[in-house]
Amino acid sequence: MTRVPAVPGGYFGRALAVDVTDGSADVLPLGTQVLRDHIGGVGLGAWLLHELAPAGADPLAAESPLAFVFSPLVGTPLTTSAKFAVVAKSPLTGFLTDALASSHFAIAGKLTGHDAIVVRGRAPEPSVLLVDGDGVRLVGGGAVWGLPAADTEDALRDRLGRGWRVAAVGPAAERLVRYATISHDGRHAGRGGLGAVLAAKNVKAVAVRAASRVGVADPAGVVGAARALRARSFGPATAKYRELGTLANLLAFNAISTLPTRNFSAASFAGAPRLAAEELAQLRTVARHSCASCTIGCEHIYATGTGRRVRVEYENVFALGPLCGVDDPDMVLEASRRCDELGIDTISTGGTIAWAMECAERGLVEAPWLRFGDGAAVLRAVDEIGSRTGLGDVLAEGSRRAAASVGRGSEAFAVHVKGMEMPGYEPRTLPAMALGLAVNARGADHNRSGAYEADLSGDLDRTSGGAAHVAAAVETEDRAAVMDSLILCKFLRRAFDHPFAEWAELLRLVTGWDVDEEELRATARRIVLAKRSFNLREGWTAADDWLPQRFLDTPVTLPSGRTASLTAERLRAMIDDYYRIRGLDQEGRPTTAVAGKGTAR
Amino acid sequence: MAKAAGVVLAGGRSSRMGTPKAALEWHGSTLLRRVTGVVARGVDGPVVVVAARDQELPDVDAHVEVVRDVLDGRGPLQGLGAGLAALADRADVAFVCSTDLPFLHVAFVRAVVRPLLDDAARTDVVLPVVHGYRQPLVAAYRTTLLVAVERLLAADRLRPAHLLDECHVLKLDQSALLADRALAAADPGLDSVVNVNDPDGYAAARARPAPDVTVECFGVLAGAAGRGTRRVAAATLGEAARARGLALGPHVIAAVNGDQIARDPDLPLVTGDAVAFLSADAGG
Repeated sequence: MTRVPAVPGGYFGRALAVDVTDGSADVLPLGTQVLRDHIGGVGLGAWLLHELAPAGADPLAAESPLAFVFSPLVGTPLTTSAKFAVVAKSPLTGFLTDALASSHFAIAGKLTGHDAIVVRGRAPEPSVLLVDGDGVRLVGGGAVWGLPAADTEDALRDRLGRGWRVAAVGPAAERLVRYATISHDGRHAGRGGLGAVLAAKNVKAVAVRAASRVGVADPAGVVGAARALRARSFGPATAKYRELGTLANLLAFNAISTLPTRNFSAASFAGAPRLAAEELAQLRTVARHSCASCTIGCEHIYATGTGRRVRVEYENVFALGPLCGVDDPDMVLEASRRCDELGIDTISTGGTIAWAMECAERGLVEAPWLRFGDGAAVLRAVDEIGSRTGLGDVLAEGSRRAAASVGRGSEAFAVHVKGMEMPGYEPRTLPAMALGLAVNARGADHNRSGAYEADLSGDLDRTSGGAAHVAAAVETEDRAAVMDSLILCKFLRRAFDHPFAEWAELLRLVTGWDVDEEELRATARRIVLAKRSFNLREGWTAADDWLPQRFLDTPVTLPSGRTASLTAERLRAMIDDYYRIRGLDQEGRPTTAVAGKGTAR
Repeated sequence: MAKAAGVVLAGGRSSRMGTPKAALEWHGSTLLRRVTGVVARGVDGPVVVVAARDQELPDVDAHVEVVRDVLDGRGPLQGLGAGLAALADRADVAFVCSTDLPFLHVAFVRAVVRPLLDDAARTDVVLPVVHGYRQPLVAAYRTTLLVAVERLLAADRLRPAHLLDECHVLKLDQSALLADRALAAADPGLDSVVNVNDPDGYAAARARPAPDVTVECFGVLAGAAGRGTRRVAAATLGEAARARGLALGPHVIAAVNGDQIARDPDLPLVTGDAVAFLSADAGG
């Protein structure tokens, strides 16, 4: 496949749009200005969704698109750049969701010759979508329907050949669990129910095979930058990820009242030491893995109580452990493994189960077996969600819909933002993060707003939010927008001393553009607003930028005896300030058009 | 508006000491840095240092404010007035102390401030009385007393006793102070009110062991410094870090008693503190 000379380095200048209803495909030209304005990943994905998603469509309807989006850095030797975004309207939130995953699928997918692969329509039967240099084919997926994603990957690569790379959904997606994931090589595009969107199209998996090459503007410069970045990736900024993985957060967060416990009714957990990485890493580690093109190697694989292998992350353990009051590592690791096998987001799974546990203890649902602290109950609930049996059928809808179904005041303790369950960061003791969680387009999400980093820097008051926290939340949201569009792994973020300037230089080396820090900051703002603009089109209102009442009613008492509080008045003031800084009106609406129209500007 | 703020009076002549007491070395830091830091930990509002007009001060935390006496040599009531004026409309009460209190404990600050916060308006001053001595420079004052202070200053009635004579004072003797369980545990001898006035007193104070604190390292720091809780003697966060072979910086932060995140090595520690050293690279 020959590149069009006018296309900047790192790009093919086109997206592939496949209609799986009949297997037809169109090439969508991506103009240089569109690429420069949105870079790739979540930025380009937001633009594609604006262009291709019919307004108001049901996320699980045939006409709703789902886009695998690559980036200009994919395929370069830059460490952690082998990543892809999956973007669609979320069946969990009804708004835009964009999730990242990593490894060889990103490289092979891009080298099919496209900057994005968009899937639309609904196949007449369970199918697998194949994309390579020979074009697009839709083949029968009946043989893999019902399998876990990992088994599906193995089966398809056995059948098609090892050159193929596969992103697949698990059994939960087939049952349209609203927080089902798309998985590749054990890593999940996890949040927002993207797996359900793909499965609703009767597509079990997308397989890609590299068929071309992509050049960069300054090959020697890119190699030099990659060498320097690789060296920094071995430094202290990434030591935590290399040595213990993200589970290192758990015991530290417990010490500073930031570990959400028992459906966010507490911020520390007496059983935390049993689940700590400091404890488990020595006893349970069986392997450590890296994604393709990554020098950090953050994946820590533990053995479950029965000797099975599970990839361990802080969010998995927090959500299926302390959030449900469970401190038995065998139970928590097994629950995490089953979530991977079923293909469901562990945060939403744990958050929804924790809500159900509180319902059960309050006598609002008929499930006497479901009690905080009972690991076996968590396992049963996970299985019922994955199979949509028993109580699992309503829990598969996520906590917001489940609470609307159960009613009787249970909405008050369904802990979500925009329908997405909260990650493991107690907002009352992290004021900047609290704002980030409230206003983020994706919902309660720690990857699109990493403001906890500012809260934990030592520069901000952790007990009460104000103007400095708002500025920090805006800055970290902007940084995330660029990192998720370039795409670089966030675990690398502290390896950059002057991030926007350094990212601009990487983009310049790859594309040849004279992009600088100022332009990249403007691009970040554009991407953030593009997502907000999409949500506005889909029915978002200012009321959606808010936090659950539980956080606003009750302060957290710190071990020092002082309290950290997040009042409605203070949250309102921070949100208003955020709107002002973002150039939004008082209702949080963009005051100018922010999403481009037309594909070849 | 904050409930409680702090005022540290640093403008005294230090004539018996022979050198400014504010700048006296204290475990690698200074007395002023220590006292302002302890007060800041005990209140929820701003901390103000009152200094003489041309007085040179050692570094203090960036959040600490410095105001200057308008007139020199008029004693602590002048400083109290300047401090309360700086806090007008920003706090209900102020913990007021001198800068020469190396053993001042956070629990003492809280124990003295609390009765004033709990009392709607009847009490104007909470005055510790320790070993028979009234302690007006380790006491809590309602900020509305500024009017009375200014009136006394205008009348050249410069002794703090004049102020105490004309307002509602709650006296707390040893037994009343030690009824506060946190204070009784942390400072049973009420060394919080021990001041240093001359070189011998300073040397004796400096010779005492540093506060007994517990330290725990988390995450990758536990790999380098060892797991579990350990007791160390440390007057500052930096001393505690060094005791575990750590250095505070971009990748190493700390939380004292699970409260604010800190990376300032001069942050004062007091007996009974629990220090958590964390990797700054949070997130996942």
